[in-house]
Formats: sequence, C-alpha cells, structure tokens
Amino acid sequence: MENLAYIVLFGHIGFILVGGFMTVLAESLVRALLGLIMTLFGVAGLYFLMAAPFIGLMQILIYVGAVSVLIFFAIMLTQAWSGGDEAKPRSAKTFIYAIMGALAPAVFLGMAVIRTAPPSIFTPEETEIKALGQFLLEPYILPFELISLLLTIAMAGAVILGFERRKQR
Amino acid sequence: MSPMTMYQLIALFLLCIGLFGVMYRRTLVGMILGIELMLNGAGLSIMASAQLTPTPNEIGQIGTLLVMGIAAAEATLLLAILLVVSKRFKSVEAAKLTTMRG
Repeated sequence: MENLAYIVLFGHIGFILVGGFMTVLAESLVRALLGLIMTLFGVAGLYFLMAAPFIGLMQILIYVGAVSVLIFFAIMLTQAWSGGDEAKPRSAKTFIYAIMGALAPAVFLGMAVIRTAPPSIFTPEETEIKALGQFLLEPYILPFELISLLLTIAMAGAVILGFERRKQR
Repeated sequence: MSPMTMYQLIALFLLCIGLFGVMYRRTLVGMILGIELMLNGAGLSIMASAQLTPTPNEIGQIGTLLVMGIAAAEATLLLAILLVVSKRFKSVEAAKLTTMRG
C-alpha cells in the first residue's frame, strides 16, 4: 500500500517536472501553455495527496478552468504565436544569465530547506469544509472581503484598460 | 527525506523554473507563464507547511485559496495590459517595447 502511495507521489512529481520544463523551453507558446496545464494538474494532485481535496478542486477550477483560458486568449489576441517571436534564436548570453538567475535562489533556499527541515507528519488530516467556512467568516473575514474587493477592482480596471481609446493627435 | 522536504523542494523547483522562464522568454505572454509557475510554487509551499506540521490546517488552505484569487485577478489585469500593449506597439516582444530608442 505504501509503495502505491509513493508511485502516485512520484508520478505527480514527474508530471510537474516535465510540465515545468515544457512551459519554459517549448518554442510554440500554445505548447508552453499545455505544459503549464500539465504542471497545474500535477500540483492539484499533490493537494489531493495532502488531504485537501477542496483546494485541489479549486486549483483545477480556477487555474485550469479560468486562468489558462485567459492566457490562451492572450496568446490569440496578441498573435504572439504567428509572429514567431518566441522561435527566434536567443543569444547564449541570455541563456547563461537566465540559468544563473534561476540557480542562485535554488542553491541558497535548497540548502535552507534541507538543513532546517522540521519534523513532518506522514498522514495529514483532512479538514472539514464547514470548518474552513467558519474560519473564513469568523477570524479571517478581513482577508476574505479584501480579496473580493481586489477581484472587483482588477476586473473593473481590466475593462477600463481594454476600452481605452487612442487620443486624437 | 521527509515528505515536507520533498514538497518544499518541488515548490522551490517551481519558483526557480518560473524565474528562468521570466528571464528566458522573449514575449510578454511567455513571461506570464513563468509568473503563473511561481505563484503555483508559492501555493504549494504554503499548503505543505500547514498540512504536514502541527499548524492548524485551515491557515494553509485559506492561504492557498487567497494566492489563487490573487493569481486570477492578476491574470485578468495582465490580459488587459497585453491587449493595450499589442494595440500600441503591434508586438508583445519585450525587447521591442521602447518608444525612445537612441
């Protein structure tokens, strides 16, 4: 039984690794978006494994359902795929700088994670959704209201930006 | 290796590959993909540190949910900004977005 759990865990980790590399290295942006969706599903699977099915479902609903569709609209509307901007050869300097920039936090934070790891629980408990709702509406009502305000303002701002007219010269 | 360390290392991988993507991609759309990866890493890290330690579970779950809400708001705004940029510059390549090139 434990072996099966490890197989599932490493399956999801493999999904995340392959999807992540596909996201940053694929030449076509649509393929990169597919890699991102793969990663999102892998992360959702990890949430399920951590006994948080509600958040896993929210991940699939919000990220896979909404955010990736938005990004696909961005790809279509800006014609980022047909111009072939992504496919142009990059200089080796860019690659080296990007690798260096990504490796710096990896080394330091990785060392911190490995050396100061707290003891962890092997079988996390599941929280009732009722308890989550109570938590959200009693002690943490301010962040809840603020996030709704943030969403409203972001939507309104997006609409205003989208309808902006060129000024007459 | 404890499960906590493993989850945190995956979150760290997502952060680093997101950073790499932001620096390596040419267009703004590709950079958005990198930002989404980084936000996912943040959510995973918050969730793992609440579920796998004696911390109350609700904090981690609500924190991850808030990260998702912020990501949704951010994606909406980025779509609008990309539309404006592509209308004005006819391109979303990051190196071309200059109005005062010498």
